[in-house]
Amino acid sequence: MNGIHDMGGMHGVGPIQYEKNEPVYHAEWESRVDAMTAAVRGKVPGGLRQGIEQLLAADYLRMSYYERWYESLVWRLISAKVATRAEIESGRSAEPKAASTNAYSAAEAVALLSLNRSERRDISLAARFQVGQQVRARNINPVGHTRLPRYARGRLGIVDQLRGVFPIPDAGAGGRPQNLYSIRFSARELWGEQLAPQDAVYIDMWDDYLEPA
Amino acid sequence: MPTNQRDFLTAAVTAAGVTATNDLVHAQDHSHQAVPSDVALRVKSLESLLVEKGLVDPAALDALVDVFEHKVGPRNGARVVARAWVDPAYKQRLLRGGTAAVAELGYSGWQTDDLQVVENTPKVHNLIVCTLCSCYPWAVLGLPPVWYKSAPYRSRAVIDPRGVLRELGTELPDDVEVRVWDSTAEQRYMVLPERPAGTETLSEEALAVLVTRDAMIGVANVMSPPSGGRG
Repeated sequence: MNGIHDMGGMHGVGPIQYEKNEPVYHAEWESRVDAMTAAVRGKVPGGLRQGIEQLLAADYLRMSYYERWYESLVWRLISAKVATRAEIESGRSAEPKAASTNAYSAAEAVALLSLNRSERRDISLAARFQVGQQVRARNINPVGHTRLPRYARGRLGIVDQLRGVFPIPDAGAGGRPQNLYSIRFSARELWGEQLAPQDAVYIDMWDDYLEPA
Repeated sequence: MPTNQRDFLTAAVTAAGVTATNDLVHAQDHSHQAVPSDVALRVKSLESLLVEKGLVDPAALDALVDVFEHKVGPRNGARVVARAWVDPAYKQRLLRGGTAAVAELGYSGWQTDDLQVVENTPKVHNLIVCTLCSCYPWAVLGLPPVWYKSAPYRSRAVIDPRGVLRELGTELPDDVEVRVWDSTAEQRYMVLPERPAGTETLSEEALAVLVTRDAMIGVANVMSPPSGGRG
């Protein structure tokens, strides 16, 4: 979707607010939201980003990073009918306490994130494009989730690497495996003549994002 | 949002079984943006609910937070960089396959399942960003700093990388090629910075101390030690 989260190339959002010796979290609640999001992985449908993309643009900009995560988790719980808005507001389950827990133990939760679990699929799909080939990023404007940033759409690039086969995360694609490529876009192709001629941006793109040029 | 904020807060405090004051003050003190003062309570309330529903074990949350605060972090990445500086064969493996090479030093998972390490040279400077969200290789760099996840960096890193570096204190020569890596897929990136001059006698451990998180994101270079001291 053409959402506020798709920020590459925007102007007018202020200077970088660098903090020296920044702590990992700025408040305990941030750590709990982070950990809850990790701990319900695979247990609550939907993804973090899909939830964040439900936020109105004005709310997205107003909220801190982990407040967005909180809102994303709430949206997922309600959408999946795991919890009701009333339960979330009261902090109390409307149902009798579960007889047995479905939660990951501490060891399981840590192991889940410690194991290498690449999304790479060990299957061979013929690559539509080869290293060195010129390609064009498609001009698409889907209303659902996509990883094709607006600033690259319609632009010419060069295939720099074939990364292998990965599920495409776009809404409606159902995680269909596709070839993933690293595409090199010259800074001038993306932004115009004021950029240095040798500078470039590399973006990872699935087959569905590309067309021959 | 609740229609009656006061009732909601009262309910949340009761459900969470806490006195609200400390966390409220804490949240307000540290808000970088306008964080509502009740967010700490809403989070406690949500945790209570998920525990009651058997979806979350508080001990698992504690364990995850412990990893994020103490086990992952840029000291891990600094060890990788220092090893690559002293061991050319390791450096080749690192650049060819980041995931396998960092696993040699004991780092795996935590968003390094598909890791590409990109090398800075006198002619090429690399910079990492996630314009769409906050992708970052946790195992070697830890959780990203707030500025990395915020609009100013995400918007400008791709359109004005030289300006971003200048703003953060690094001026790049005109003849250097800047490569920005936008982490839009599951691929994660880490920069292998240039080894600074005057470090020929330093040990691997002493070199690792010089390597900063910012250098591995690509918004800084690694500086020579002040005294050119020995390792």
